[in-house]
Amino acid sequence: MKALTARSLGLCALWAVACTNTPATMPPDMAHAGSGGSAGTAGMSGSGGSGGAPVCTSPSPGVAPLRLLTHVQYDNTVADLLGDTTRPSQQFPAENDVVGFSNNVAANQANPRLVEAYQTAAESLAATAVATRLGTIAPCAAGTDNATCGSTFIQTFGAKVFRRALTDGEAGIFNTLFNATLPQGYPKAVELTLRAMLQSPQFLYRVDAVHAPTTETGAIALGPSELASRLSYFLTNTTPDDTLLAAAASNQLATTAQVEAQARRLLETPRARQMAQDFLGQWLGLARLDGAARQANDENFGATELVPDWKASLTSFLDDAIWNGGTVNGLYTSPKLFLSSKLATLYGLSATDASTPVSVPTQRSGLLTQPALMALLAHADQSAPVLRGVFVLQQLLCLDVQPPPPNVAAVPPEVDQTATTRERFAQHTKDPNCAGCHVVLDGIGFGFERFDQLGRYRQTENNLPVDDSGEVLDTGDTTLDGTFSGALELSQKLANSPLARDCIATQWYRYAMGRVEDTTDQCSLSDVKSRFTSSNGSFRELLVGITLSDAFRYRPALENP
Amino acid sequence: MRGRRFDRRIFLRAASGLAVALPLLPSLRARGQAADPIRRFVTFYTPNGQIHSAWWPTASSGTSFTLNDIHQPLAAHQSRMTLLKNVDLQSAGAGPGGPHQRGIGTLFTGQYLQEGDFVDGCGSTAGWADGISVDQVIAGQIGLNTPHASLELGVRATENDVQGRIAYSGAGAPLPPMLQPLDVYNRIFKDLVTPDQSGTMPSDPMLAERRSVLDAVGSQIAELEKRVSSDDKQRLDAHLTLVRDVEHRLSQTSIACTKPAQPSTLDPTSETDMPTIAELEIDLLSIAFACDLARVASFEVSTGLNRIRYPWLNSMGEGHPLSHMSPDDPDAHSELVARAQWHSGLIARLYDNLASVTEGDTTIADSTLLMWSTEVSEGNVHSHTNMPILLMGGGWHFQTGRYVDCAEGGKNPSHCDLLVTLQNAMGVSATTFGRKEYCTGPLKALT
Repeated sequence: MKALTARSLGLCALWAVACTNTPATMPPDMAHAGSGGSAGTAGMSGSGGSGGAPVCTSPSPGVAPLRLLTHVQYDNTVADLLGDTTRPSQQFPAENDVVGFSNNVAANQANPRLVEAYQTAAESLAATAVATRLGTIAPCAAGTDNATCGSTFIQTFGAKVFRRALTDGEAGIFNTLFNATLPQGYPKAVELTLRAMLQSPQFLYRVDAVHAPTTETGAIALGPSELASRLSYFLTNTTPDDTLLAAAASNQLATTAQVEAQARRLLETPRARQMAQDFLGQWLGLARLDGAARQANDENFGATELVPDWKASLTSFLDDAIWNGGTVNGLYTSPKLFLSSKLATLYGLSATDASTPVSVPTQRSGLLTQPALMALLAHADQSAPVLRGVFVLQQLLCLDVQPPPPNVAAVPPEVDQTATTRERFAQHTKDPNCAGCHVVLDGIGFGFERFDQLGRYRQTENNLPVDDSGEVLDTGDTTLDGTFSGALELSQKLANSPLARDCIATQWYRYAMGRVEDTTDQCSLSDVKSRFTSSNGSFRELLVGITLSDAFRYRPALENP
Repeated sequence: MRGRRFDRRIFLRAASGLAVALPLLPSLRARGQAADPIRRFVTFYTPNGQIHSAWWPTASSGTSFTLNDIHQPLAAHQSRMTLLKNVDLQSAGAGPGGPHQRGIGTLFTGQYLQEGDFVDGCGSTAGWADGISVDQVIAGQIGLNTPHASLELGVRATENDVQGRIAYSGAGAPLPPMLQPLDVYNRIFKDLVTPDQSGTMPSDPMLAERRSVLDAVGSQIAELEKRVSSDDKQRLDAHLTLVRDVEHRLSQTSIACTKPAQPSTLDPTSETDMPTIAELEIDLLSIAFACDLARVASFEVSTGLNRIRYPWLNSMGEGHPLSHMSPDDPDAHSELVARAQWHSGLIARLYDNLASVTEGDTTIADSTLLMWSTEVSEGNVHSHTNMPILLMGGGWHFQTGRYVDCAEGGKNPSHCDLLVTLQNAMGVSATTFGRKEYCTGPLKALT
């Protein structure tokens, strides 16, 4: 994400001159990294562009540091290990976001409150587990020596917690704790040992490189246990299931076909759907809808009353688009709405229930016209053409947008009952100081003017006809650039756009790797995009493609001591 | 335990609807005054600069000055106030990042930002601040023998990147604020062991268990370290240090103090709950200080690029866009001043609370030093000169109750000098803070 100005594609030239530290050109070696994976500038595509195609003869894996389980992963993992669905991470300190993603490895390191929270969570989880499931996690048949049962518990349950067999040293540490506690009773010994397991880094971190660094060099294929963890934590945000652990233990993850088969199996589990929602929420910035006040004079809802309905509606739509429709085309063009009775009434539609879609092809087309998204990209009392334009460029096309310069009144114009939003915002493109950017931003944003801040479809505003014509400028993607009429046409453009499709691949790749792509990712990301393209934008194929990429299956050698 | 005497009970104003009941601090066994007086320290951040025409006192500098609009809620504490004029955030003038990012990053660290992937203005990107913040340096000095070395509190500070962090335990190591009063309560008070009817402190049954568990965890870290890269070993070492800190604090948890009532769960993203959350956090912080459960805190109200409204003030503009308006725009002016007054009111609430707790011959309001500032001087121009900075307390180290022009020979000093003064006041004897090239020593105007 360096040298972002090269991604701005000549946008906002007027502002750029007022800014400092604006490099005129992007260093060639950063072209790929800075491109957001898919810059529309000619010659900077994922395949390497004018700098020459990247040499992709051998894997060049990026860094593979210890990575903390994300909050979602922690909660899912303890639910799957212990049957505990209390979601302890609600008490963890907030995760840090990088380009929207809260699973960025470098930005999320241990901190004092987190380690404290791990202790608190482990105590609560272990106490509950021993009280309710002792016979499941640490069975001990009558007549069997308690220390023997403890040793078995440590070997078997410990291997589930650590996602691999324990070393003798690791088992020995737990056995020492167990046996020292045994005088207080078998349950207490199990409880304290479980508490220690849940606070050990072998549980809290995913460890990709655990072999003595003696002679290895170059790119190293991940070991079976490590690859199993990568697969399950990427595709399902949880610990490997028994099938995957068994495959790892019997070295059944050695071939591409074996990895692919496991990936396809995992993709059909409920946890994969939850993973997709987690990714989509971060990509689309849906957390910003929490607490967002949206009101209209002619409706009497509380300021944030509709937020839960909007979120549920979007979740249902995305689940349907990703897994039933399954393609980029459907994501951008599906006319379905999933409406609670409150929303159905608000939009003047009749809905059976929130799980049965209503199809409104004359008004709605895909993600961009979803009520939740239109409400997210709005001000409290009016639509937000600028935010909508920025969203399309930044999130959906992976292009850079600069924020307004100082000394500019970046407030939405006063609501005026005698004009349309478009007329009020038109000042942006009249004032030459603003036009440089706003002709680009508003040109897209005005296309959504048929949707107000509540996500309602409108033909008129203040009894004046709504003009939702728009224009896409300077993206470098010929399927996108040019004029369009309304959000339905814009959505069709996005559905056919290589830039938009590549951007989705880039975003999901960032989520998969827990970092922003860099030069080591050129070949892998290029492969992922190619596979996504040749599958006609199938999300399943995109996810499988990521797991088959070199970046996913290899790590760099550990340095020699 | 440190001998202290509460001559009277703490009385916390209960705002309407607040769930925190008034905790009754017991009269502790008087052991006379401690040899070293206890000091406390707070950093306080609010976003988007200030309206200068409503910030600076209207009379000339010195001990006789008339508070401007923003500081009216603090009138009762004027003798504890020090308003510093003409201090610049010089270290925000270079390094990676945009003006909001650089400002908040350097405000309490005196550092540049690291390279990174957080996107901001002018095509620039940045990472975290490149060093420890002043509150954490001070926590390392005075926070080691309290159950919590420091408390990071926040109100609607939901931007989880460099824009939303004011406290750093080291370079690139931000400390996220707690936004939910119930979490604050649980962390500070839930497991607190308090004296029984007879005033005797019971033994903590969890103590021995926790020690043995953490010992095993420490051994597992050492075991894993044998087989990882040197970078990962560093990460594990850092993790081990944090585990050891938890272990060290286990022995610090026996405190004679009556627990406040448990607050209900509130919505940290809600504009409706925002004032209640802020007041609860101020009150919980006050009690934590009064009970000596912590001596250092940071308090963060929202973040630089926020779009929040303050409906209880009838201020319905969206924060950051609002701050881009001209300060002379009458609507923007009144909304921003109203918000700033409300921020002042939070500080007043803290000092009112602290002033009701006596300790030795004085109250703990007089042993608490607070610095309030923001990431840009004026929101509409993103300047970093003549920063609006308010100090509260610190009378043991410099004369308070003053409006001080810090310029010397027409030149404004760097805020790094102020950070030196603050750490000196809190017993840290270093002569620089942050990037050395911006430091000349303690702020001369306060010496």
